Amino acid sequence: MASTELSSPLAGERQLPMTPRRASPGRRNAGRWLIGASSCAFGLVVLAQALRGAGIIEFGFDDWRPTLYAYVLWGIALGCGLVMTKGERGHQLLFLLPALLFTVAVVIFPTFFGLYIAFTDWNLSSVSGRQFNGLDNIRTLMRDAFFWNALGNMVWYVLAVLVQYAIAFALALLLNAEIRARKFFRVAFLLPFMLSPVAVSWMIGKSIMEYRFGPAATLARLVGWDSPAFFASPWLARSSIMAMDAWVSIPFIMILLLAGLQALPHEVAEAAKVDGASPWQTFWKITFPLMLPVSVTAVILRIIFELKLADIVINVTAGGPGGATDTVSSFIYREYRDRSNVGYGTMLAEFYLVIIIVFVTGLLALANRWMRRFT
Amino acid sequence: MASNRKNAHRARPVSRRRFLEDAGSVAALGAATTALGPFAQPAMAQTDLRKQILGIPGVDKGSPTDADWQKVGELCLGPTKANVTAGEFKGVELTFMGLNNQNLHNLLFRGFLKPWETYTGAKISWIDLAQADYNPRLQQAIATGTVDFDVLEMGAPFEGDVCGKGLASEMPDWVKKQVEIDDYVDYLKPPVGTWNGKTYRVTIDGDCHNFNYRTDVFSDPALAKAWKAAGNTSEWAVPKTWQQVQAATKFLKGRKIGGKDAWGYLDAPKPWGGFGFYFLGSRATAYAKHPDDKAWLFDVDTMKPRINNPAWIRAIQDVVDALPAEPPDQLNADPGTAGFQQFLAGTGSMLSWWGDIGSVARTSDASVVGKIIAFDILPGSDDVYNARTGAWEKLASGPNYAPNCAYLGWGMYVMARVDGDAKKHKAAWSAAAHLGGKDLSLWTVMYPSGFQVHRTSHSNVDEWVDAGYSRDYISSYLNSQFGSYNHPNRAVEPRIPGIFQYYSVAEDELAKVFAGRLDAKTGADNIAKAWEGITDRLGRANQIALYKASLGA
Repeated sequence: MASTELSSPLAGERQLPMTPRRASPGRRNAGRWLIGASSCAFGLVVLAQALRGAGIIEFGFDDWRPTLYAYVLWGIALGCGLVMTKGERGHQLLFLLPALLFTVAVVIFPTFFGLYIAFTDWNLSSVSGRQFNGLDNIRTLMRDAFFWNALGNMVWYVLAVLVQYAIAFALALLLNAEIRARKFFRVAFLLPFMLSPVAVSWMIGKSIMEYRFGPAATLARLVGWDSPAFFASPWLARSSIMAMDAWVSIPFIMILLLAGLQALPHEVAEAAKVDGASPWQTFWKITFPLMLPVSVTAVILRIIFELKLADIVINVTAGGPGGATDTVSSFIYREYRDRSNVGYGTMLAEFYLVIIIVFVTGLLALANRWMRRFT
Repeated sequence: MASNRKNAHRARPVSRRRFLEDAGSVAALGAATTALGPFAQPAMAQTDLRKQILGIPGVDKGSPTDADWQKVGELCLGPTKANVTAGEFKGVELTFMGLNNQNLHNLLFRGFLKPWETYTGAKISWIDLAQADYNPRLQQAIATGTVDFDVLEMGAPFEGDVCGKGLASEMPDWVKKQVEIDDYVDYLKPPVGTWNGKTYRVTIDGDCHNFNYRTDVFSDPALAKAWKAAGNTSEWAVPKTWQQVQAATKFLKGRKIGGKDAWGYLDAPKPWGGFGFYFLGSRATAYAKHPDDKAWLFDVDTMKPRINNPAWIRAIQDVVDALPAEPPDQLNADPGTAGFQQFLAGTGSMLSWWGDIGSVARTSDASVVGKIIAFDILPGSDDVYNARTGAWEKLASGPNYAPNCAYLGWGMYVMARVDGDAKKHKAAWSAAAHLGGKDLSLWTVMYPSGFQVHRTSHSNVDEWVDAGYSRDYISSYLNSQFGSYNHPNRAVEPRIPGIFQYYSVAEDELAKVFAGRLDAKTGADNIAKAWEGITDRLGRANQIALYKASLGA
């Protein structure tokens, strides 16, 4: 029989009792039995509820809540079983298990369940309820002019991130320089990022830029623009949305870039200065290349956020005029909220998720290749 | 106090609001004297109770508070006491789901029901929802079989979703007597509130779009002269048809009234969660609702959409034609903007909206047009499209009028889940009946509540005047409301499942048309195609059956 005593550098001192490194066979068997029995019980609850949900059997609970309780109990039994069968290794697994089970419950299961929903015709107003409809939702999506229009708009919104990046870099350089009230400006420039986009929509889009009484419209009239309607023509409306979005988001890029700038070694820039490099040469040949890793991270994070743009659009233009400002997320929102189209709305969301994953993965690969060449 | 307020008003510098009010007050007095016609009943003898509740807190005495709502609820308990003994519902717990729009609806209901709870012993818990969350919450509850409320505040358009699926409880006869159901205006009588011959709804609101217009604009001598100078043979007057609305709107572009731009009709082209479609509907009903045909949105026997017939395309084209003559940012104006930020703030001279405009114009600080607006039923059309013959017709009686009875108002519904418990069933219906009581309803339509006139007894002008309203103003307002409700050719909204899905899809396509990306015909064809898809998805046979039931066809 293997020794259950533990060697310790603190041998001789009073120690807390520890679980044996290896469990006894009886304990291991009991653990296996516990895991097996709880898994069977949990599986039976799920199966019974699924069969009842499908109308195959009468037995079961009124809703899925008991299944959730069964999942929690199974998780506890699984944890106990692992400790009993694996000893100290089981204890280590206990640290991971809650997070794992939680992720399964709120990320993995909903994603796969969402996939199932995406292949159903499920309109909340339909008397027939949810019905599997194969690839119909994908076919509808392929022909859906509103989706492709929104996706086309996303190209412009994503390209606008580059402009945001340029402005944010300039601001970061400014805040990194020795200027007066630098701390104040750092906080002040961060304020828009702290505001909710919904608040920005109302304060800026529906108040400051309001045609009749908005200060921006009044100013525009003063400088000679007779009809400062910021949201009445497609390109102007899109640009106005981009401007509001930029106002909220630039501080996010700026703060990342500022952190990167502060981490740069001063010696390199000073050496360049001694060698007679102009400020532009210093920036372009030294600062910019050294900042590339931070820049790529900031831009990619912003693009991911940008692809989910919805709140400002929903509040200010509702996607108009004529779909010019619509985003995929605001379109999905309409499918769900206004049309109760759960099946098709979920297909849109899952399809868009795949597009985002492919796009961002490709972007990362390109960025890596480009950075290797540049640095 | 009144004179102090008057003097204070005089001491103020001339504001835009005061200027507009003063300029139009004389015209308003003259123009707002539209007789109430058949609804101008001889002064009905007011009961002491009605006088008493209308004095809480009193018109022009600030907004009512929770204490006022409780007082009104207490005073209106008489009908409840006639049917329920004190403490009869002790131990009963009810869940009530409704709205909390603008701090109204459920907030008032809480106050009204507080004395009811004290008297009956029942206890109510509340589910408050914002308007935007209401539809998804209700649809989810229905679709997932998780109806977790006993009493529901709901609009009639959802009756197809709820009553059509057997989720509502049938109204007992004693409730019909308690709420005096025969007092409802004609258009809110069956089939509204009923399904397959059974009654489900206690009506607490009436809805229709009326025509709001600026009296100062249409009585302005300078504009009248310019109108003639522009070659018009008719007199400069309030438009009575959509053809005249179009002409006036185009004429007013670039004109001034009191030194300000005098815009004409205000469209609401920006989507508004499906509700924006009602505003195209208001332009279309005069073209599309033939007096010999109950249907105007779909063919009755097939659910084939009529949205792409010549009548609807003409209405869509009217918007496209009018937009260049409307304020430059009109494309981004939803109905809320058009009504509250534009019309009430002095921009535009004609507007279709629910009765809220008239009830808010004199009570909101944001309004500058309280004394210079008047009301009418929606404009008519010189000709009307007959969908059965496929031809435009000119009626011998003159222009075709078809008021758009949009949304059909809010009502109280009791859910079928209480049917198995006699005590709870009676308690739920008693609560609904209390909120829909005849006397209490007079208070709600006169004070801020979110509800508008919906009973014949609400047309007694003397009660309104006694409460503090001006006779001219309220006569014009009530005439437009009751004139719409009781119009023989009113266009009543179909109460079929998923009706807002149809409207929402239409809004998206219309937005493209109004932005110039599609022509009216193509946009209308796209809507028709999408509507056919929705009907198929929801079940065509079922939709046809429910559509027929809702029209009483």
